[in-house]
Amino acid sequence: MAVKHWALKKSLWVYHVNTGACNNCDIEVLDLLTPRFDIERFGMILVGSPRHADVLAVTGTCTRQAMPRLQELYRQAAKPVVVLAIGSCAGAQGIFTEAYHMGSPVDETIRAVDPNAIIAYVPGCPPKPEAMIAAVVKAWDVIDTL
Amino acid sequence: MSEVAIPREVQVPLEGFVGEVLGALGDAVIGVERCDERRGFARIDPQRTVEVARRMLAMAGTRLATATGIDVRDGIDVLYHWCIEPQGVVVTLKVLAAGPEMTVDSIAPVVPAANWIEREMHDLLGANFRGHPDMRRLILDDSWPEGVYPLRKDFDQVRDRPPLPPAPPAPEEALP
Repeated sequence: MAVKHWALKKSLWVYHVNTGACNNCDIEVLDLLTPRFDIERFGMILVGSPRHADVLAVTGTCTRQAMPRLQELYRQAAKPVVVLAIGSCAGAQGIFTEAYHMGSPVDETIRAVDPNAIIAYVPGCPPKPEAMIAAVVKAWDVIDTL
Repeated sequence: MSEVAIPREVQVPLEGFVGEVLGALGDAVIGVERCDERRGFARIDPQRTVEVARRMLAMAGTRLATATGIDVRDGIDVLYHWCIEPQGVVVTLKVLAAGPEMTVDSIAPVVPAANWIEREMHDLLGANFRGHPDMRRLILDDSWPEGVYPLRKDFDQVRDRPPLPPAPPAPEEALP
């Protein structure tokens, strides 16, 4: 397993899921890919399918409509998969907690299908790209313990 | 229609361009709340909604900017906001969808721009639009129950929230 995890850490592929975000977090996720932050130096690239992904970068409050879709995406991703809950909304639904169209928060939604999911929280509205890089580094530590 | 009295607004004098627009609608206007150089608020006869919409659309430079709904004591107030671009004014025409049935005539067959916004008002407030060409659900989630209207005044955003849908079946369970 050591070789597999060593290889996985050098090539985390990211699938970006928007579960009802205002797009501010999505803009910060795009900033991660620009030369200033350049996450490709860590081997991370955005991929177009959850079946290719090692990381789900989830932004947004997780609305009722998005909730079953997020669970389906999580099931489609190859395990082990790290979920980054990016932004205050993805962390705990932010200011939208008491709105009628909310589902459960991102972490509860994913734990409903996999109680042992690896979830890293990136607070902020929006979080800085550096904070997302820090979350990925923490995810590496978790992958080491698998 | 029902016996609910249609509220009559304070009648202000018609003046300026907005006054001309409201004057052109004749006795379909049953009350004028505001009429100044930029903005007009008028209540119109619920029986003549479609006729008023047709007349507004026939004027030069008018378009339906949007429509909004308010849950009021006697039913649902539907507010059609008309922009008149050359003069830079907005005229709001209110219609009361009165009584327990909360129904007014749809203007969507005459003004296609009203199609989706009437569907949205039906979803969120429960106003009914008679003669709407396509009254399917527009913005609420598919799992939302029928007959629950989240923007009504008596709906509590937390307490009255319907139960969440279950997780979709896992792939191995989904196989036949």
